[in-house]
Amino acid sequence: MNKGTKVILLAAAASALLLSGCGQKKEVNDSGKLNVMASFYPMYDFAVKIGGDKVDVKNMVPAGTEPHDWEPATKDITGLEKADVFVYSGAGIEHWVDDVLKSLKNSNLTVTEASSGISLLKGEEHEEAQGEDHEHGEFDPHVWLSPMNAKKEMENIKNAFVKADPANEAYYQANYDTYASKFDELDKKYKDTLSPLPNKSVVVAHEAFGYLCNAYGLTQMGIEGLSPDSEPDPARMAEVIDFVKENKVKTIFFEDLVSPKVAETIAKETGAKTEVLNPLEGLTDEQLKNGDDYFSVMEKNLTVLKEALE
Amino acid sequence: MEIFNYAFMQKAFVVGILLAMVIPCIGVVIVLKRLSMIGDALSHTSLAGVAFGLIIGINPVAGAVAACIMAALGIEAIRRKLPRYSEMSIAIIMSAGIGLAGVLSGFVKNSANFNSFLFGSIVAISDMEMFLVIGVSLTVLLLFVLLYKELFYIALDERSARLAGVPVKIVNFIFTVLTAVTVSIAARTVGALIVSSMMVIPTACSMQFSKNYRQTVLYAIGFDVAFMIIGLFAAYYLGLKPGGTIVLVGVVFLLFIFIGKKLLGVKG
Repeated sequence: MNKGTKVILLAAAASALLLSGCGQKKEVNDSGKLNVMASFYPMYDFAVKIGGDKVDVKNMVPAGTEPHDWEPATKDITGLEKADVFVYSGAGIEHWVDDVLKSLKNSNLTVTEASSGISLLKGEEHEEAQGEDHEHGEFDPHVWLSPMNAKKEMENIKNAFVKADPANEAYYQANYDTYASKFDELDKKYKDTLSPLPNKSVVVAHEAFGYLCNAYGLTQMGIEGLSPDSEPDPARMAEVIDFVKENKVKTIFFEDLVSPKVAETIAKETGAKTEVLNPLEGLTDEQLKNGDDYFSVMEKNLTVLKEALE
Repeated sequence: MEIFNYAFMQKAFVVGILLAMVIPCIGVVIVLKRLSMIGDALSHTSLAGVAFGLIIGINPVAGAVAACIMAALGIEAIRRKLPRYSEMSIAIIMSAGIGLAGVLSGFVKNSANFNSFLFGSIVAISDMEMFLVIGVSLTVLLLFVLLYKELFYIALDERSARLAGVPVKIVNFIFTVLTAVTVSIAARTVGALIVSSMMVIPTACSMQFSKNYRQTVLYAIGFDVAFMIIGLFAAYYLGLKPGGTIVLVGVVFLLFIFIGKKLLGVKG
């Protein structure tokens, strides 16, 4: 055996030792906290609110990233292998979930689809079938944008935590009760603010607001279908422009995480202004630093909606 | 006509037709120099420029233009070192550009900002972009006419051009910078897909008919303007994505030309 081979073998043996050592450590959760992986921002926010200091929550989609196109990296999969609870919203927005869950070997993982139990809306597509919307099944996945649905999602998350960590049931339940009443308040505020307004049509960058519109009697006109970030087709843009002119829509909404170019083009053509309506698919670093969360963003959304519909 | 009632379609036609006149001028020379893929290479490299601009806080379009110029000069330099394998210079710069863009994009905080500079669409053009395109187009056209003879010599045979007293180095430099600026501005405005295909497909069509350099240029411009107009009409009335439609119109035309020539038994 020559020297080179020996060195390689030694290195291999050493790394094998190291690896096995790491493997054993993983089993023990030294902080004693529940390890939670949340698929994207609202799930993360709800999980933090329920879990408080009893859980460690990790948001898989990084700040400032659009979740529709995101796919898990290796470190996300290892994170899932080590986690106790995995929370995802479901209804097709995390198109990678089925494949990833099948490949996991983590038998202790409590998986919860937060949207289960919510009656889903059929995805409203434009006349032309949208071939590239493959990641959305037949349903509109943006359930969290109606406060009452969000409350239901939070309840599902709470149940998952209780299942994984029954010792702290009372703590989770108390947190849930606090926020449940906040959701009720938010819902009431939306109803009281929006129902007296004369206009009911909003033009949005992508059709994320189906549940919100449904809950408060609005209709949305999306420049894009359910997924943002595809090239707009001119026929659809012309349609939206006509709609804006006919209904005297004052504001074209766009999103933080999607290019505002198309919204600006339409606004310019119709004399409307542009404003951010956040579909809460993710917050930017800046928003996180300012301490924004689900409730503060939904309040902001309500303010801009009110201005647009007055 | 209904299609012209919308300002965004008017802009698409203005910008589209202008670019369709300018890009083939560059495209013909590029094809003759065996650098057909340069459009792709440069538009990919410009992504790295956009990312860099966003990170250090300068205008991302300026960053893209700078990156493109450097990449184009890099391609020229490598090409001069390896004159027999000019495609290789493009492959090298393209991989360098994509690699750099991939790494740098990890440092960009807001992906929306990044996306809005990466993906232009011919139906969503801002006023600033339109003026930029008009300015660039006029400059390119002017220089192309002024350097018409020189470019023709160089495109056909660099060595004899040098012997005939053409200032090859300077002309090559000007042309390279022009190409870089056109690609970076046009890719940002109408999308990289349209730009790289507009350099090559009209030239390919025109070479099936033309008998000399002058005809090649004129036919290529004619074809490209036609593809642009047909593509925009088709996209509007059939509800298709404009970028892909314009490119496919060109490809279908080229196919028909090949088939037509075969059937008529004309030799190309």
